[in-house]
Amino acid sequence: MELSTDQRWDLVERISKQTVEVGKYKATLKDALADLTVRPAIGIPFAIAVIYGFWTFFCEFAGTLFTDGFFVKIFDGYWLPWLQNVFAGAPTWVFNVFVGDPLATNCFEAFGVLSSGLFLAIGVVLPAIVAFYLIFAILEDVGYMPRLAVLVDGLLHKIGLHGYAVVPTMLSLGCNVPGVTACRPLDTRKQRFLAIALLSVFVPCGAQIGIMQGMIPGLIGWVFLALVIGYFAVGWVLNKIVPGESPEILMDVPPYQAPTARNVWTKLWTRVWRFLKVAVPFVLLGCLIVNVLYMTGAMDAIASALSPVITGVFGLPEETASAMVAGFLRKDLAVGTIGMLAAGGMTITLFQVFTAVVLLSIYFPCLATFALMIKELNWKQTLGALATLIVVVFVFGAILHLIGSSGIGSSAWVPLE
Amino acid sequence: MKKVLLMGQANVGKSALFNRLAGARVTESNYPGTTVDFAKGRMRLNHEDVEIIDVPGTFSLEPKDKAEEVAVRMLEQEKDALVVCIIDSSKIERGLYLALEIMEKGYPVVVALNMWDVAKNGNVKINAPKLEQILGVPVVPTVATRGEGLKELVLRIENATSASIEEVMEKVGGKGGTFN
Repeated sequence: MELSTDQRWDLVERISKQTVEVGKYKATLKDALADLTVRPAIGIPFAIAVIYGFWTFFCEFAGTLFTDGFFVKIFDGYWLPWLQNVFAGAPTWVFNVFVGDPLATNCFEAFGVLSSGLFLAIGVVLPAIVAFYLIFAILEDVGYMPRLAVLVDGLLHKIGLHGYAVVPTMLSLGCNVPGVTACRPLDTRKQRFLAIALLSVFVPCGAQIGIMQGMIPGLIGWVFLALVIGYFAVGWVLNKIVPGESPEILMDVPPYQAPTARNVWTKLWTRVWRFLKVAVPFVLLGCLIVNVLYMTGAMDAIASALSPVITGVFGLPEETASAMVAGFLRKDLAVGTIGMLAAGGMTITLFQVFTAVVLLSIYFPCLATFALMIKELNWKQTLGALATLIVVVFVFGAILHLIGSSGIGSSAWVPLE
Repeated sequence: MKKVLLMGQANVGKSALFNRLAGARVTESNYPGTTVDFAKGRMRLNHEDVEIIDVPGTFSLEPKDKAEEVAVRMLEQEKDALVVCIIDSSKIERGLYLALEIMEKGYPVVVALNMWDVAKNGNVKINAPKLEQILGVPVVPTVATRGEGLKELVLRIENATSASIEEVMEKVGGKGGTFN
């Protein structure tokens, strides 16, 4: 027998009347905190403090402690000389592809699959991923995410999204792939399209952030600013032109909870393992493809074919075409490629690096994200997202080119290493 | 192979329970909507292997978003499955709503009164034996994140039965209520 909604609620009430006794509830410190952190006057400064703390930990732990303090020394001091030694007798093309420039003294200049590729993936990106997911897991378990959603709800409604969209967006800062799936709890097709399109275009992943933090620490704030402006500007436009509704969603805000070490550890490990399994092979593959394209001369052909756009519209050196090619596979590799090109002698100004990194973030979601977008959106919506990013990349590129031609940041950029 | 579906509303601890029961590693978080797709695992039950499935949270069996659609489709496909219905003990009414909905469809059900600690701290007292007697299916208090009550839950899964809603109505009918 099936009941109607009213009959069922009726029955629920009768049952609970006989089995549940609700006593007096005494508010605790936890409840007070839970309440304060969603009130704008206290919640917003608190949110800023949380994000600032997050960022500081990310930079110190990943950048300073592990990458600079540990991996750079291992890779440049032991790994590269060892590789150069082992491959010494190999044919020149094998050496060039896997070890890179024979005169290189560090893994950044070398540009080989096993030297630079592995260094990027393990030495720079892995610590960033670990640092990000460690803090993120704690925030998730404590129950802070839904409170952040409440705080930004009003703002996100201006671009047709619900506060809940902050959850997939934050997740995407680790990796866009789970970010795209996390959009499922959004109610309407419109909201899902908006959220997925915006995050795949404007949210850089943890791997990319890790590389940016290591390579351009002085510019990364500007990159984020450009991306945030883009997120809201494009969101505002899309909200106007995409048909459909953006209704309210009722969302539970759960009580704060102490995170359990077991769960934080399991989550951290699963996510880091997924990164190692999926991302590392892709970085190496991307590095291989770029190297082969160089060796066969195909890269020069691609570069000159793209030159009207890359140089003409975006105002970037023609050589950055190889970074764009790498970016189809992995964003971290793409950004790293800019650094390696500069280390290898390409002249590029500070502003051009900024432009290149911003455009690399938005011009195409990485292959893994794109594959998932096709699965999560229908064809029409995927094409819509692609059309959006093509328009955005040209508008952004042209605007940045225009700003750059004022002479701002025109000093030559020298990569850190 | 016999199948056990873990169903319940968002953020009641389905994934935590799943990880405990199946020894798996699906993501658990303290916000609604963490699980958007189902995950499968295995556990030993009464000396045989059974498949256990972590289903995305759904408020009711009328789906409102894509994650809920996955949940409802899952239930419809697994006609012979047994359902462990997980309820947040501190919000028992809405949990009961979904439990009744699943029972009406004729599935054998076990109710896990999860977050028992949260309810207790909030001074909510639930008479689990009485609830069990009314519903006619096993009712077990649990704290999935700490593993409390899970042994009993597993033991009781074996006595999961489909209950008749008419009997439930009879047991609570008349007494203690002003109903139209």
